[in-house]
Amino acid sequence: MTGGTPPAGALPARSRGVIALLEENCTACMLCARECPDWCIYIESHKEPVPGNEYGTGGDGPMAEPAASQGGDGGFGAGPDPASGPDPVRGPAGRGRQRVRNVLDRFAIDFSLCMYCGICVEACPYDALFWSPEFSYAETDIAALTHEQARLREWMWTVPPPPAHDAGAPRPGEGLADRPRR
Amino acid sequence: MVSDGLPPAVRCEPDHHGVMLRVPPEHWLTVLTFARERLDCDFFDWLTAVDEGGEGFSVVVHVYSLAGRHHVLAGTLLARSAPRLPTATGIYRGAAWHERETHEMFGVIFDGHPHLAPLLLPGGFEGHPLRKDFVLAARAAKEWPGAKEPGERSVPRARRRAPPGVPDGWGPS
Amino acid sequence: MAAVDLPLTGAGSRPGAGPGPGVITVDAGGAYSLRVFDAGLACCGVEVAAALRRAGALAAAGEGKEQSGPVNVFVVAGTVTDKLAPFVLKAFQDTPPPRRVLSFGACSNSGGPYWDSYCVTKGVDQLIPVDVYVPGCPPRPEALLEGLAVLLRSRGSAGDG
Repeated sequence: MTGGTPPAGALPARSRGVIALLEENCTACMLCARECPDWCIYIESHKEPVPGNEYGTGGDGPMAEPAASQGGDGGFGAGPDPASGPDPVRGPAGRGRQRVRNVLDRFAIDFSLCMYCGICVEACPYDALFWSPEFSYAETDIAALTHEQARLREWMWTVPPPPAHDAGAPRPGEGLADRPRR
Repeated sequence: MVSDGLPPAVRCEPDHHGVMLRVPPEHWLTVLTFARERLDCDFFDWLTAVDEGGEGFSVVVHVYSLAGRHHVLAGTLLARSAPRLPTATGIYRGAAWHERETHEMFGVIFDGHPHLAPLLLPGGFEGHPLRKDFVLAARAAKEWPGAKEPGERSVPRARRRAPPGVPDGWGPS
Repeated sequence: MAAVDLPLTGAGSRPGAGPGPGVITVDAGGAYSLRVFDAGLACCGVEVAAALRRAGALAAAGEGKEQSGPVNVFVVAGTVTDKLAPFVLKAFQDTPPPRRVLSFGACSNSGGPYWDSYCVTKGVDQLIPVDVYVPGCPPRPEALLEGLAVLLRSRGSAGDG
């Protein structure tokens, strides 16, 4: 048995072993890479159009062929009824606007530089970065200490649930119940 | 009052811990002697400098009275072109290493210091690192990972600029 | 023993006391005997000291089968400043072969948080060949022991001769 691998659960809460990435939450906003004091987070991303939201999709937008309609509606009929709310696919009243989203290509953290300060975890507005207590990832090659999103994702499954608040602590003030009443 | 006995050119300001004495350089040793003899400041805490830009370098000393439990800060302003000050080692022996460090980090010369050699920097080091115009070369050599905008594949040439902490003109070309 | 139940150091008040080149036994699929030379330069040195004291207790608990004699492991734990670099190099050169080098913590791996400093050697591998890098700032004491296991499992050495 190696000298002193702690049994699971024996490490203190919020132990800073390694940083894990939940890629689904990441929007490539670059805040963690910018705030990192060691410049050890490398992000590559690109923009992609959001499918199904192109202008005039389905031919029912304002440029559509006018459908047969009773009465004069100026040829702008056959769209969804505005009274029933915006169309979920084509946007309000069929006037879909081309939306674009960021797609993450690469998210890497160089753990040879990382000082485990946690600024990236705190800065992330989308809760994509988490602390994991794992510490057994020594390498013989320093380049192998730069871990890509696949490995960062594996560490997600070792992230413990957050510890309970201390007894008598004030409310965190982040819940819906804490919003000021209008 | 603290300022009784000090040259009139010395300004005495209350500090949140004690007093801050603003000292013209020619009264530096007088004030330190006064702090030690008359204000009972027998504990020398630290001496350092601040790069004030165009105004020059201010050298600041913190001494403390163990019996009276009061702090005294003394500061002077030296011209940037000729930052010289008499050594405080005749009054406080503990200033010896502090003055060595201030000398190597800022370039302030302490006249009369017994051994004004570099303390922390390796031999052959060029420049004075804690001056504001000293550039950290490692920041110039490495591309800042945060330069790209979200969703950008690469930074457009027109927007390429030096990373934070690096003056324009440095940085990878 | 729980992971956080580390013993008090106790050593350091008497000259010559405290962990010297600690002889520890680490099981890495065979038993080896290691002599660890700890260059504890900064905060990481505290963690290495903690690890070596615990590991020494483990060695006493069970005898390991020595294979081909002890291996000398030079552990660099802490920031290597440019002023101290020649002495770290000398200490490595004084380590008798067969020797391995383990870099412990971010500062000795790559300069770590001081990567942009004017007086820090950006990683001890700028001076000496390193066999294992243990990441952390500081790594846990247990991480040193895991790093030693990786070291023994890896092939060959960069530091022999």
